[in-house]
Amino acid sequence: MIKLWFGQIVSVVRLELKKTFFSKRGLWVYLLAFAPVVLFGFNSIHGTHERQRLARQAARHPISQAAFNDIKNGLSPDQVIEKLGKPYRQYSRYYHRGGKKHRIVFYRYTDGKIDFTYQFEDDKLIRTHRRNPNALTQTQLVFATSFQFYFLRLAVFFGCVGVFVNLFRGEMLDKSLHFYLLTPMRREVLLAGKYFAGLLATIVIFTSSTALQWWAMLWQFERGVIVDFLASPGWSQFAAYLSVTALACVGYGSIFLAVGLLFRNPIIPTAVVLLWESANPFLPPLMKKISMIYYLQSICPVTASQDNLPPLLGLLISPTQPATTLTAVTRIVLLTLFVLVLASFIARKLEINYSTD
Amino acid sequence: MKNDLITLDNVSRFYGEVLGVNRVTLSLPPGITSMVGPNGAGKTTLMNLMTGLLRPTRGRIRILGIAPTQSHKLFGLVGYATQFDAFPKGLSGFQFIYSFLRLFGYSNAKCKQLADQVIEQVGLSDAAGRRVAGYSKGMRQRIRLAQALAHDPRVLILDEPLNGLDPLVRAETIKLFRRYATEGRHVLVSSHVLHEVDMISDQVVLMSGGYVVAEGQIQGVRSEIQERPVKILIHCKQPSVLASRAFEHEYVVEAQFLTEGSGVLITTRDADRFYRLLNHLAVNGIDIEGVTPADDNVNSVYDYLIGSEEKMSL
Repeated sequence: MIKLWFGQIVSVVRLELKKTFFSKRGLWVYLLAFAPVVLFGFNSIHGTHERQRLARQAARHPISQAAFNDIKNGLSPDQVIEKLGKPYRQYSRYYHRGGKKHRIVFYRYTDGKIDFTYQFEDDKLIRTHRRNPNALTQTQLVFATSFQFYFLRLAVFFGCVGVFVNLFRGEMLDKSLHFYLLTPMRREVLLAGKYFAGLLATIVIFTSSTALQWWAMLWQFERGVIVDFLASPGWSQFAAYLSVTALACVGYGSIFLAVGLLFRNPIIPTAVVLLWESANPFLPPLMKKISMIYYLQSICPVTASQDNLPPLLGLLISPTQPATTLTAVTRIVLLTLFVLVLASFIARKLEINYSTD
Repeated sequence: MKNDLITLDNVSRFYGEVLGVNRVTLSLPPGITSMVGPNGAGKTTLMNLMTGLLRPTRGRIRILGIAPTQSHKLFGLVGYATQFDAFPKGLSGFQFIYSFLRLFGYSNAKCKQLADQVIEQVGLSDAAGRRVAGYSKGMRQRIRLAQALAHDPRVLILDEPLNGLDPLVRAETIKLFRRYATEGRHVLVSSHVLHEVDMISDQVVLMSGGYVVAEGQIQGVRSEIQERPVKILIHCKQPSVLASRAFEHEYVVEAQFLTEGSGVLITTRDADRFYRLLNHLAVNGIDIEGVTPADDNVNSVYDYLIGSEEKMSL
């Protein structure tokens, strides 16, 4: 019996895979999945140009490291120029405080690797910004933020909507679902076959995207920097991101397979799930744990930056300890099984009534 | 013995407020059974109920003793060609049948063999490699038939299977149905092409407005309608004499003379008594060459039972 079920699942997967990968209806899933690869690619091109620009700038106007070390807060613009020479770029901004207009002046210098921006207010140096386009720390943080706030919450989420909802709903619309139901196959087996087909397709699409994003992120850096990073902690981070992507497909896939079976119009339930997942940072700790994104974020290797959130929104975030990897994985798998069992009950009662679909 | 039957016991199906079928009770033995009725009569609903594509609101269905909900048991025995003219995308005729058979758990070689066999049976061997999307209506009908036949089922349920087939293929298909019936299998056919149903059926189920209005062997159905006037064609040398003698009896309601004067078409409310009258007339000197029931077929019964309702509703 198990052998028969396995054979039937494999046959369903074969039939579904072609449709899932090459369906015109699902082209936007590829756009959604691979958009961040393009963005990281552009970022890498920009980073490379930036490094070349800084090197050229430093060659034209060499400044010793000792001179940079000599710059301290409180110096006037003239004193800085005296030590470092004329900045390669100078600009100013205005702002109002206490009914008074203030002017901030920025001087930019480089030693060929780091871009220094000196910030003056009331003719005094108040802050030094250092930007190192060759440093991976900042890029890793950008990757983590993009991964958790765009890729997981939007790309994988909506990608799973597009793939899994269509497994049943799409065939209802195409009026071809009945062919499956005219075979001596248990509805649960059909459901499993369709789920695995969707899972295989989404895992291939989205883990490929994660891998390409990773490659696009690193591509701009010098070989030595990349080798050092991969040695520790690069490869383990890479594996973690791939695993999180696959787990997101496992979890969201089951939810949207059930949505496709249960609802004629998946928009409203999808919006509800999206709202719940998006509201997760603001929910009380107990409710936070009834979501997919909480567990997925818990096992992300780098904590995403929330520095750029508006202060009021930041206040609303309820701090919660992330779940351990074991807890997160177990709960995602349990939730998936629960949803799939529920979906199999719906599948058993599934009727073919194309005229009303 | 009981497991040889398709039984429906007080089956009803409603789509919300709308009636699909209501209180259908049937017990169908092997052979060719035709379901006849106008659009919306409930034929497709009944077939979908029998195959588990729909669930009855009330009642109980058994196909050779198996409930339609047990699809894993049912479809080893049942082949259903639906009326839905849609196919999984991107598949050729062969791939469609082959993939369908794979879901039965057959081996790769067995699937290929069965697919080739059934495609040849429906006369689509030349087009097997072409995409189903490019098939003509008749070819799509045949590939659907092939899908229903492919696993050699004991029960064939076919929704309008003769629609769109050319006369040659139609004749072949009917021959196939007959072969299946003589092998003791069930062939359940719905059709609007009434004269074909008339020719091929062992029994008939007449449906209208979601109800079974008559069922049984074609003669049995006919005799259920005692009040319905019957047309009988009589070829004779003296049609006007025969007509005038017939009109002496209150159960003869109409007489139409054939244009060439070779006979008369009598309409009577009591066929049995009229046949006895004919015997009497023949004995008493009227030369009767032949007597043919002119409307003892499904078409006339259908017209009478269902056509009158439609006329009334108009």
